[in-house]
Amino acid sequence: MATLLSVESATKRFGGLIGPNGAGKTTLFNCITGYMHPDEGRLVFDGTDITRLRPEKICGLGVARTWQLVRTFGRMTALDNVVCGALERTNRVSEARARARELIDFTGLEGRADVPAAALTLADKKRLEIARALATGPRLLLLDEAMSGLTPFEAAMAVQLVRRIHQELQITICVVEHVMEVVMPLSHRVVVLDYGTKIADGVPQEIVRDERVISAYLGERRAVR
Amino acid sequence: MRRLALLLLTVAAIVYPIPLQLHGYTYYQTVGFLVLLNAVLGLGWNVIGGWAGQFDFGPQVFFAVGAYVAALLFVRRGVEAWLGMLAAVVVAVVLCALLTYPLTGLRGHYFAIATVAIWMIAQPIGATWEYIGGSQGLFIPAKPHGGALATAFSLQYTGPMKALGYYYSALVLFAVTLALMAWVERSKLGYYFRAVRDDQEAAEGIGIDSRLYKVIARSVTAAVFAAAGVVYAFWALSVFPEQVLELNWSTLPIMATVVGGIGHLWGPVLGAVILIPISQIMSTTLGTGPLAGRGIDLIVYGVIIILIAAFRPTGLLSLPWKRWLGRERRGPSARPAAVDR
Repeated sequence: MATLLSVESATKRFGGLIGPNGAGKTTLFNCITGYMHPDEGRLVFDGTDITRLRPEKICGLGVARTWQLVRTFGRMTALDNVVCGALERTNRVSEARARARELIDFTGLEGRADVPAAALTLADKKRLEIARALATGPRLLLLDEAMSGLTPFEAAMAVQLVRRIHQELQITICVVEHVMEVVMPLSHRVVVLDYGTKIADGVPQEIVRDERVISAYLGERRAVR
Repeated sequence: MRRLALLLLTVAAIVYPIPLQLHGYTYYQTVGFLVLLNAVLGLGWNVIGGWAGQFDFGPQVFFAVGAYVAALLFVRRGVEAWLGMLAAVVVAVVLCALLTYPLTGLRGHYFAIATVAIWMIAQPIGATWEYIGGSQGLFIPAKPHGGALATAFSLQYTGPMKALGYYYSALVLFAVTLALMAWVERSKLGYYFRAVRDDQEAAEGIGIDSRLYKVIARSVTAAVFAAAGVVYAFWALSVFPEQVLELNWSTLPIMATVVGGIGHLWGPVLGAVILIPISQIMSTTLGTGPLAGRGIDLIVYGVIIILIAAFRPTGLLSLPWKRWLGRERRGPSARPAAVDR
């Protein structure tokens, strides 16, 4: 991603990142979380330069993420998945298990704690990823298409969960999402990417009226339909 | 129930050789020694292969390192075996960490190939290095000791007590290894190993340094192989490259682990208890008499392993034992199938 992109995030806010396919949304997430390194520019999290840090170091600083295509620890139980996350903040397994239990309950997975993660439904796997990410004690949570592939009901439940995380746990959240109906009502601020460039940045009401956004994203979608 | 089974197994393992010894038999003590030795190696391999999910086909290098370090210390410096074992474990862990760290960027087949490559490099080094005796290796002179305790610590059993002595030494090593592995499985290490196995990217995303934990996993494996190598060297009274670097020191434990149940604490133990006696029975029945010298015993042994692997690729421990055992106690009642583990 050669193009410079300046995105600043205020604390305890809810940010949305949208853009058409191939815009570079996931690439940006990968750069922020250390899975890719940008060719140019700097990434700063809370005053720390994280441009060249490895994923595990960035997690230690308080950034957690989920994945567009879910990545659970399939052969471990749901609870053990979350325990692995909680061990980021403690070396004691008993302490981590207690924290994991809380988060399993918080994300509504209490009946499935002892089920191997591979046997969960997609909606539950996505919840599990969120629980595991929360267990690492993040200050910034990056959700990569947390609603994709879900039924309308499941998506509504997921939106509710994300809202609760933001309000009850006071965590800054940034979502990548295709579904406009999810991003717009939740976000304080929306950034639009197209071909690796920021083309708009503002409150949702402005974004939906922005000419460039309509032509690059909304317009394209309408044209496809 | 679990405790009772464990207690019965312990008593059986301690008591079974005694009547045999009193009647002057030693064969079954040696079989028991080999079962335990391979169970220990399987427990060690289960860490890197079963929990961390990295296929390591070269752990016999550390078996050899352990055997050589303890033998050298004993032959050249007169250091007792138990001290030699400590030194062997330390040397193997350091060497393993240094050798493995560069490999941890490799994944899947490439990691496996690299571990084999290290073993291939170790062979000519072992065969030509003068200091460790080259292809002749080292001869460990049996030194009789006064007391039973001194004999045990020096791992130098001689005469009719030899098979029994090594059996009990291997039993102690087995018990220590099993307890250590049970602890590893429940510790942070165990969780992190399995996380890296199931999804390396996701593991890094929750703060796990995948390279570090792969190195730790393989070093634990190396430590176990080194300790077992020391016991084997003193049992065999010699260390030479073709013997301690033999491929069987990895294939047998790996097969035992896979047959018993890879990633299960007791998997390699069950596998060794089944496979090693079968191999001994095959070689004493089919390997002698009119069929001797044609390798029939090895062919039949191989077929048995293939059958088990085809019948239950996830290992014998993954069979629904809980349900079967539950039925025996409660009769045919409707119970949900026990979830694996």
